[in-house]
Amino acid sequence: MQSSRSMVIDPKKRGRFLAPFFVFVLPALIVVGAILAYPVIYALAISLTDRELLYLGKTNFIGLRNYSEMIRDRNFWHSLSLQLGFIAIAIPIQLVIGLFVAILFNREFPFSKILRSLLMLPVFVLPVLSGLTWRLMLQPSYGVLASFFNSISLGPIAWLADTRYAYVAILLQDIWRMWPFMFMIIYAGLSSMPSEYVEAATIDGANFFQRFWYVVLPYLKSVIATAFLLRMIDALRIFSEVYVMTYGGPSNATMLLSLYIHKQAFEFGRLSYAASVAVFLLIVALFISYFVVKRGLRGEIE
Amino acid sequence: MRKWLICLAVLLTLTLMAATVRVLLWDDALTQALREGLPEFEKKTGIKVELELVPSGTLLQKTLISVTAERSDYDLIAVDEPNIPLVAPLLLPFAQWPETKFYTRPSMADIMPLALEAGQWKGEFKGLPVNANVYIWLTRKDIIEKYKDEFKKEYGYEMRVPKTLQELLDMAKFLSKKGIYGWAPFTKPTEGATCEAIWMFESFGTKVLQVTDKGYNVVLDKQKAIEAINFYRELLKYAPPGALDYGHAERVAAFSRGEVFSMFNWPALVPDIENPEKSLVAGNVVYTEPPAGPAKAAAVRGCWIVAIPLAAKEKTAAAEFAYWWMSVETGRKLIPKGLTPARESLLKDPAYSKERPWFLGIYQSMKYAVERPRFERYPEVSQVIRNNWLDAVSGRVSPEVAVDRMVEEINAVLKKYGY
Amino acid sequence: MRKRVISFVVLLVALSIVLIELFPIMVVIVNGFKRDIDIWSKNPFYFKPTLRSYQLIFTHREFPRSLRNSFVVASLSALVSVSLGSMAAYGLSRFNFKFNDALIFILLMVRMIPQISLAVPFYMIFRSIGLNDNVLGLSLAHISFNLPYVVALLLPFFSSIPREYEEAAKVDGCKTFQIFLKIFFPLASAGIVVAAVFAFLMSWNEFIYALVLTGTRAKTAPIVVNAFLGQYAPLWGQLSAAGTIMLLPVFAVTLSLQRYIIRGLSAGGIKG
Repeated sequence: MQSSRSMVIDPKKRGRFLAPFFVFVLPALIVVGAILAYPVIYALAISLTDRELLYLGKTNFIGLRNYSEMIRDRNFWHSLSLQLGFIAIAIPIQLVIGLFVAILFNREFPFSKILRSLLMLPVFVLPVLSGLTWRLMLQPSYGVLASFFNSISLGPIAWLADTRYAYVAILLQDIWRMWPFMFMIIYAGLSSMPSEYVEAATIDGANFFQRFWYVVLPYLKSVIATAFLLRMIDALRIFSEVYVMTYGGPSNATMLLSLYIHKQAFEFGRLSYAASVAVFLLIVALFISYFVVKRGLRGEIE
Repeated sequence: MRKWLICLAVLLTLTLMAATVRVLLWDDALTQALREGLPEFEKKTGIKVELELVPSGTLLQKTLISVTAERSDYDLIAVDEPNIPLVAPLLLPFAQWPETKFYTRPSMADIMPLALEAGQWKGEFKGLPVNANVYIWLTRKDIIEKYKDEFKKEYGYEMRVPKTLQELLDMAKFLSKKGIYGWAPFTKPTEGATCEAIWMFESFGTKVLQVTDKGYNVVLDKQKAIEAINFYRELLKYAPPGALDYGHAERVAAFSRGEVFSMFNWPALVPDIENPEKSLVAGNVVYTEPPAGPAKAAAVRGCWIVAIPLAAKEKTAAAEFAYWWMSVETGRKLIPKGLTPARESLLKDPAYSKERPWFLGIYQSMKYAVERPRFERYPEVSQVIRNNWLDAVSGRVSPEVAVDRMVEEINAVLKKYGY
Repeated sequence: MRKRVISFVVLLVALSIVLIELFPIMVVIVNGFKRDIDIWSKNPFYFKPTLRSYQLIFTHREFPRSLRNSFVVASLSALVSVSLGSMAAYGLSRFNFKFNDALIFILLMVRMIPQISLAVPFYMIFRSIGLNDNVLGLSLAHISFNLPYVVALLLPFFSSIPREYEEAAKVDGCKTFQIFLKIFFPLASAGIVVAAVFAFLMSWNEFIYALVLTGTRAKTAPIVVNAFLGQYAPLWGQLSAAGTIMLLPVFAVTLSLQRYIIRGLSAGGIKG
């Protein structure tokens, strides 16, 4: 059962593999490249100009001025920390819940197909609607969730009016919405796992937890890493759900960096400044992804 | 043979004459009502109309992407009043709008002067106000009826639609004993909160920003601003729970369910309150101007302006459409379909006052219209105002500190843009 | 017997998880049948059902057409993204060149750029080549973010499939592309299904490109539904009804693709 899932190309035999490689990969690269080349270069380059949404005919090159303004903006750092906190808390929780439920669903039981699809509905619902529904549910006077939380603990909380609870609320919304995403990916990974692996371990006398820890989890490593990466990329751009719940408030308590960028670009019209913040975010994401990709993305079977 | 040539000639002229005007507007009941009138317009003028409606929260961005100084994908656009200073360089001044054949320029006398000002920037009118949008004040007349005797005994004067803020406070205190919330604020951190701040500041006698020939001055009177904040905080004691996070959704729900006695609202939200399917208080509401503060009564204005971009291709057709929209006949036809007029004559018309009592309220309120600070970078100033206002009224920060910060930050914004 | 009991217990647990998780969705669905006045009532379960909201959205001038547009755009972009993306993921996972990592990175990072920054230049190019307000144009814009996503998503799935099957097929004399299509694709079906569902979903719910790149003709559903947010207060009933309707196609696509997730493959079972 030993097989390395990727062969490292022997330089001498390279030419033989280059052709099929290109056949498979080139169409995608060409399509993406053709569509995105100009917009990406444009989007990155305008961070060095003073381009605004309102275009009066002239754009000036201003070098790194946007970046220096960004570094000196207190709100930028505040938003960055909120965003990083958001990712650090929400995504691992989503991952763990998704993993457990995927393992649960991994057996055959009646109605599993339809239950799986139903479970995905929160991921499918329009983000704006998700945010609005949570806003409705958390409303102190009428909200179902507000009265529920009321009855199990502390006094009445005006969730979205409180700087701390609002942040918790948006975390809850995202965890609720996105753990089925993790579930779906991990479940698909589990499904693709050849059953011999587990069977072999069972024959060797491993119990459930040993099987899980030593066989299943390593197999899933790359899948989990991908799920994390993809989720992180989207979480760094989260907007509608949060905006419609809190508009970034109260008092900037939920002004994630993605909202900050949106506000700068959309509301203030400062396209170039927003672009520079986006470039910064890109670099941060690059760092985080680097470790994830290096360690787990393409995975290995032992 | 001659018949064919004549037909061809007629066809040719018709096609040359058949312009298409592309209109970009916000999406709500008012603009959707316009669609009903389009066939008539197209028949009379031969101009085809391509009407595009876009959610209002994204209209400005779509407009700015599609309209530049050099090219414009639309011939007639709608601009929300506070954005006029920003968009002004792209617009054809109203005085230069082309002559039209079918519909005439509306008489300026029939449009309320304070509404016209919404479209004005640096001395020039940049467009036409198509709706008279201004704070109107809602009060429950059934609650007044029910408690007026008791109130008179306790406070010594007749309970009525509050004429001053102090009266509002008195009535709110009284009603809180009856389990009714006297008033509902707007406290979500969006433009609505800035409007509340401006409303209170103006009612207490101070503006925030003043336009001068050389630039801008921050003219906020700290003392009056602090008084305004403190009064607002007093009123907040009689607002429903969760009032510190009250957006339109929440306050309209509270009012419609009969829990609130008196508050402001924008005219566009009023039809739902008078709709028995959506509201328990339909038919029990009186519409007036807001109660006056120590300085005056103030109603924040927020008209939509239609304007013609400098780079538009079909300027004449655009003007025709705008004039058609503003005409009295169109008003009469489309009001039943949801249109809110800007013309004084239509607002005061007794034909509408029974079914649409808020029209008179709009007319009343417009007399006290005040505007938000006029500045090309308005959104950033608005953000400063609303953040500090909300910090102060929620008690996170003391009023003195909030006002100081407000002045400081606005000055910083002015400096950033070279003023 | 024991197996059946366990199955039943698992079903119960799964059912409870689903019910709890779906509670907010049920709120949305139920709100579509409530009058606006009941949506904000203290008791969420007592209300007079009404079809008014659904009536309004189906007679809405633009909503039905926008659903059609959304469907076309989502299907097109998902189809292209999954076909080209799976090919690319196959190439990247099977032929390990040194620059593969860099390629994957670039693909992912490109997706990180905020859409509003990309929307402006997109608008400018599409306008000049006439792809504005066009279903094809919007599909291309969607492919630009779906394709990298699909590649990134499929890589781990493809990489973890053992190579014996392909090697055996090669010994039998099959050409690489045949191997890819006939042997590999079925083995990787689980991942491909997930990728297809998500690509469709991303395109279906996408807002910013749709806002900027469409006008009256190619307007998609999220734009119309966003208008129900109103300039001030949301039109709750219509918003919920429209949102519920928007859930259906994605749900249908997911349910129908589920049967392609073949579970627990065993070696030696090479088909064909």
